Amino acid sequence: MTIIVERKFAVEIVYNGVTKSLQVEPEEQVTALLQKAIAAFGITQQPHLLSLFRQDGSIVTENESVELAGLKPGEILLLRPNAVKGGGGLLRLARNIVQTTFGTLRECGRGECECAVYWTGPASEDLIDGFEHPIHKRSPFCYEVDDDWLTEFWKRLAASKRSVKVQVHTHPSEAFHSSSDDMWPIVSQADFVSIVIPDFAIGEPSLDRAWVGRLQVDGKWRCLGSAGEAVVLT
Amino acid sequence: MTALEELNRTILLCRDYVVDALSDEEICQCFQSRKVLCVSDLRNLSSHSGQTALVTLVSLLSRMGMQVGLSIPEVALLSPQPPLLGQSVRESLIASGETLVTGATVRCDSDFNPEMIFVLGNTEIGSSHAVSWRLCGTDWQGALSMEKTAGSQPWAAEWPVGSMVSAALAANEAFKFVMRCLPLRDQAARVFFEPSRSCDWNFGSVPLPKGSVDLGQVDVISAGAISQASLYAVMRFPRVQMRGRIFDDDLTAASNLNRNMLSVVTDVGTSKVQVVARCCGTKLQFDPVPKRFFGNSFEVRELAPRVLVGVDDIPSRWEVQRHTLGWVAVSGTSHFSISSSAHSPNEPCCGCLHPVDDPAGANPIPTVSFVSFWAGLAMAVRLLREVLASPYSPDRQHLWLTPLRMDQPRAAMWLPVAPRHDCPVHCMTSRLL
Repeated sequence: MTIIVERKFAVEIVYNGVTKSLQVEPEEQVTALLQKAIAAFGITQQPHLLSLFRQDGSIVTENESVELAGLKPGEILLLRPNAVKGGGGLLRLARNIVQTTFGTLRECGRGECECAVYWTGPASEDLIDGFEHPIHKRSPFCYEVDDDWLTEFWKRLAASKRSVKVQVHTHPSEAFHSSSDDMWPIVSQADFVSIVIPDFAIGEPSLDRAWVGRLQVDGKWRCLGSAGEAVVLT
Repeated sequence: MTALEELNRTILLCRDYVVDALSDEEICQCFQSRKVLCVSDLRNLSSHSGQTALVTLVSLLSRMGMQVGLSIPEVALLSPQPPLLGQSVRESLIASGETLVTGATVRCDSDFNPEMIFVLGNTEIGSSHAVSWRLCGTDWQGALSMEKTAGSQPWAAEWPVGSMVSAALAANEAFKFVMRCLPLRDQAARVFFEPSRSCDWNFGSVPLPKGSVDLGQVDVISAGAISQASLYAVMRFPRVQMRGRIFDDDLTAASNLNRNMLSVVTDVGTSKVQVVARCCGTKLQFDPVPKRFFGNSFEVRELAPRVLVGVDDIPSRWEVQRHTLGWVAVSGTSHFSISSSAHSPNEPCCGCLHPVDDPAGANPIPTVSFVSFWAGLAMAVRLLREVLASPYSPDRQHLWLTPLRMDQPRAAMWLPVAPRHDCPVHCMTSRLL
């Protein structure tokens, strides 16, 4: 005789103060549960911004199964907006990157020319663990990256499944985004981050005085209040 | 200036659920054509809590564009009720007609013929075909019920938190009445707008000192809807004093009138901080700073030991949290829900609760009077409890409340705030992870 064990169980989803019970299976992805919840409440306004939260205030991670997420029978989950989904998340920055970046920008720019580096990391992660110093022409007022180097760079990134996370360049004095900086970032996708270091990077190796901006979906740059809104040291 | 402009954000909120084919004008008209009668006898209007319940309810209804009728006796105001002017409750309320939202009248006609009736405390009323609710409560708890008989207690409380709760509960029922008159895209959404037969909310009582309560120095970031609702509540607390600064670079717009509890039609075009500072008078003394808050600017110098944050912009919340060494309360709204939290230096901060910027934040925000009011009221209560050394426990650090169905057991959820390793503020608790 074969005994079939029923593994389905119910969780309670709360939205707009109303509770609905939904059946889930342990192997089911949390994403599927989320979609079921959105459908059950007939939500059509910005459903992509919604997430499930436990009663301890933590978010239920979506890219894993119900079992791995630790959901229990009868667990109460709050369905509410989560701004994390709509905007760019924080990039985790390896501790040595800022120091190394400043060293390169100073050495190349010698306190009299602009210079640039690109912070890179695994394409599938929000991690910055490397940087590239491009071959470029330089002057006190601009830099121009070599086309051949750029082509080779893109090929190298594709082969190693890495991507450019942030572009960093120097200005002679004040840190800001010029019109050409606005027009020609190395990556033109929403959420891409650009950092401008003042005084040819001859000051303290810190992002405290840097201009930090994030590219918006409408193609405009949004100046962030501080580097902490884009990166966090790990 | 038209009611359509003034109710723009309320109409936008309705669009979460109403059919797309309905025009803004039709939705607006549906609110403006509603007639709501508020009834009280002398006994229930002879307390500060009863007066505050009525004034708050009429304000919340008017800010939805509705027509309000009054069946109340003439009674002197026991305390000022800004932004209303006048010496008596009835005179002040009638004078407020059309000053909160264009076309939203308040009158005392015997032939009013209401669709909804709200009754204060144990006031006796005659029979009517209109749906009616009774507002009851204590210092800290407010309730609403469809009971026709006057078995309730009269309003007698000194502290008006419960009375403002009951007013917000009542305004929600009036809003849902309108939503039930509008065609919805999805019939499943009807559940959110069903009437509540009875509901209540209790912020929890706090031991109060006999004498005055000095809230000390408090800085307020934003002079918008949530800050105004919060200060509207604080200025109604008896024997309370407060000093501080209020930061905002914005001017009052017509589209703010649907929720800015201290603003009137003639304030449109005036600096929000000036409006608030004027309304707060001498009880709450604010230096208006008509600038956007930047933590490192000269004007800020050092933030007060307690800061109220009513700003929608999430990075601005982080900026405040980074620049304060003290206590911060943050309230915000998201469609029909409110989020209210408080953060002491040793607790997970507002960056842990709101970790990444909301891309939709810059768009016109859909809101309605009573939702913003809940957010402000919750923040006012948190401030009072903090000053009286009775803050909510850590498992109540965050309140997520959706006032639509307060008869449901999970309409409001108290939650802890989980610290995050990627906290954008890098607060102390996040660094300890």
